[in-house]
Amino acid sequence: MNTQTIPPLAPDAPVVLEMSNISKNFGAVTALVDVSIKLRQGEVLALVGDNGAGKSTLIKILSGFHQPDTGTIVSQGKEVRFASPRDARAQGIETVYQDLALIGDLSVFHNMFLGREYHKRFLGLNLLDNRKMREQAQLYLDTLGITIPSVNSTVDLLSGGQRQCIAVARSIYSSPKILVLDEPLAALGVRESAHVLGLIQNLRKQRQVSVILIVHNYNQIFEVCDRINFLHSGEVALDASTADTSEEELIRIVKSGLGTRAIEAAAAEVRPGLV
Amino acid sequence: MQPTKTARAGKSAVGVKVPHTMTERLLILLSRYREASIAVVAIVLVIYFQFGSDGGFLSPQFMSVVLRDTGRLGLVAAAEVMLMITGEIDLSLSAIFSIAPYVMALLSVTYGLPLAVGALIGVLIGILVGAINGIITVRFKVPSLITTVGMLFFLQGIVVSIYNSQPIVAPVEQPFNAIFGQSLYQPSDALLSWHGITAFTPFLWAVLVVLVLALVLNRTTFGLHTIATGSNIIGAREIGVRTDRMKIYNFMIAGGCAAFAGIINTAQFTSADPQAGSPFLTLQAIAAAVIGGTSLLGGSGTVIGALIGAFVVASLNNGLVMIGAQATVSDIYLGAAIIAAMILSIQVDRLRTRRRV
Repeated sequence: MNTQTIPPLAPDAPVVLEMSNISKNFGAVTALVDVSIKLRQGEVLALVGDNGAGKSTLIKILSGFHQPDTGTIVSQGKEVRFASPRDARAQGIETVYQDLALIGDLSVFHNMFLGREYHKRFLGLNLLDNRKMREQAQLYLDTLGITIPSVNSTVDLLSGGQRQCIAVARSIYSSPKILVLDEPLAALGVRESAHVLGLIQNLRKQRQVSVILIVHNYNQIFEVCDRINFLHSGEVALDASTADTSEEELIRIVKSGLGTRAIEAAAAEVRPGLV
Repeated sequence: MQPTKTARAGKSAVGVKVPHTMTERLLILLSRYREASIAVVAIVLVIYFQFGSDGGFLSPQFMSVVLRDTGRLGLVAAAEVMLMITGEIDLSLSAIFSIAPYVMALLSVTYGLPLAVGALIGVLIGILVGAINGIITVRFKVPSLITTVGMLFFLQGIVVSIYNSQPIVAPVEQPFNAIFGQSLYQPSDALLSWHGITAFTPFLWAVLVVLVLALVLNRTTFGLHTIATGSNIIGAREIGVRTDRMKIYNFMIAGGCAAFAGIINTAQFTSADPQAGSPFLTLQAIAAAVIGGTSLLGGSGTVIGALIGAFVVASLNNGLVMIGAQATVSDIYLGAAIIAAMILSIQVDRLRTRRRV
C-alpha cells in the first residue's frame, strides 16, 4: 500500500459538483430522499452505507443512467441535466460501475476505446484505427503500471483485478473532472486492492480529478479519502472529514445516530462475522 | 504512478495458462480460426462429392446450381449473423424474401416500372420491415423470436392475399437480369463467356455483400458496437453504446439483405412466387450461420463463416441427390451438423472461460 502522506485538501478548493435535494422512486420503492452531496476539486469522497441505502442509485443519477424525480445537479458552476450516460461523460463525469461495463468478447484495447474509437472515414464507414488504439492502450497502461498479458487478449480471459484496473484506466484516460468508482475493491484480493487503491491515491496526490468512491469496508478506504458520507435508507446520515474523525469514531457516530437495525447493519459491515 | 514491486509481481503471477493437451490445443485453434475450420469441412465435402459423382460435382454446370443456392442462403445467413451477434434473431426473413420481389414484379407488370426501380423499392420495404421488427423488439421489449414470428405470418398473409396466391411472371430486362441473376449455366456455355460468368451472379453478389458485412463487423465502430451490444448489453449501455439503435440498425440490415436475396432469386427464375421464401429458408440460413461458427448467445459471430456454412448446406442438399441419395436424406446430415456445430461451439467457449484465471 502506498504509505505517502497526502497533504489535506486546500480549504479554498472550488466546489466542482453539487447534487441538491435529489429524490428518486422506483414505483413504490423509495431509493433516495432529499440527498445532497458536495464535491470539491481534487477531493476523494467515500459514499458508504448498507445494501439498498441508495449509493448506487445516487451515482447512477450522477452518471446519467437514471434521471432524478426531483433535485438539481450543478457541475462546474452551472446546472446540468443528464438524459443519458453520454451527457454525463460530455460534462467530464466518468463512472466505473460495479459490473465494470467491460465487454468480454472484445480485446483490452477495444474496451479502452469503446465509444470513443480512433477512426478514419472511408467510403462512408468509420474504419477503426486499431494500430493507434493498440499503441495508445499499451502506452497508457504502462504509465499506470498496469500489467496484463497483452492488450490484444479478450477481456473475459483476464483476472478480476486486471479487469478492475482496465476499467479504472479506461475512465481516467479521458481526463475526467469527476471520477465515480462503484465498489472498485469488491471481489479483489489484497494485492489487487492495493493496486487499485494506489491508483486512487495517485489521483488524490495530483488533486486534478475529484473522485467519488462507493465502498463497503471503512478500513480499506480511510487513508485514501478526504471525506466520508454515510447513506442510510436513502438519506445522508453523516458527512464527516477523515481528518476530523477516525474509523472507530465513525462507527460510534453511526451507531449513536441510528436505530438498532441500522447499528447492527453498520457493525456487520465493519466487522464481518460479528452479528 | 509508481507501481510497487509487489503489485507488479502480483500481476505477472496471474496470466493466461498455456494449453497442454492435444484436445485443448485443437479447440483453441478452432476458437481462433472459426472460418478455417468450417472451410476444412467444406473442402472435405467437395472432395467426397467430387469422387462420389465421378467428377460431376465440380463441373461449371453443377457448381452454378450449388453456388446459386449458396448465394441465396448465404445472403440470408450473413444477415442473420449480424442480428445473432446483437443477441437477436429474425424469423421473418423468408417473408421479406417473398414480398420484396413480389412487389417488384407487381409494379413492373401493373405500372410498367423498370425492374431496377422496383428492386430498389423492394429492398426499401425489406429495410422498413426490419426497422419495424427492431422497434417492436426494442421499444416494447417483445422477444425478437415472437416479434418476427408475428411478422412472418403477417407478411406472408399480405403477399398471398395481394393476387390470390398467384405467382407473377416477371419480365426479363437486360442488363438487370444479367447483373442480378441469369438463368443457369448451359452445357453449351464457355466458362469465360458473358453468359457463363453471369450464371454465377447470385453467388458473386452474395460474396460482395458478405465481404462488406465482414468489413463493417470487424473493422468499423458500427461492428464494434454491434459486438458490444450482444456481448454485454448493460455494460455497453453504461459505456454509452446506443444498444437499442444498434439492434434496430441490424434488423434493418437483415431485412435489406433478405429482400435483396429474394430479388436475385426472382430475377433468376423470372417469376415472383408468393411462396418463394418458405420459413424453411430462414431455418436453413440459421443452420448455415451456426455451422459457420456463430453461436446464438450473442457477442460473436462470423459472416464469412456463414457464407461457407451456406455452401456446406447447399452442397449437402444438391450433392447427396447427385450421388444418388434421396433428396430428403440431406436433412438428416444437416440436422446432425447443426447439433454437432453447436456442441463444438459451446465446448470451445467453455474452454475459453476455464482458461480464465
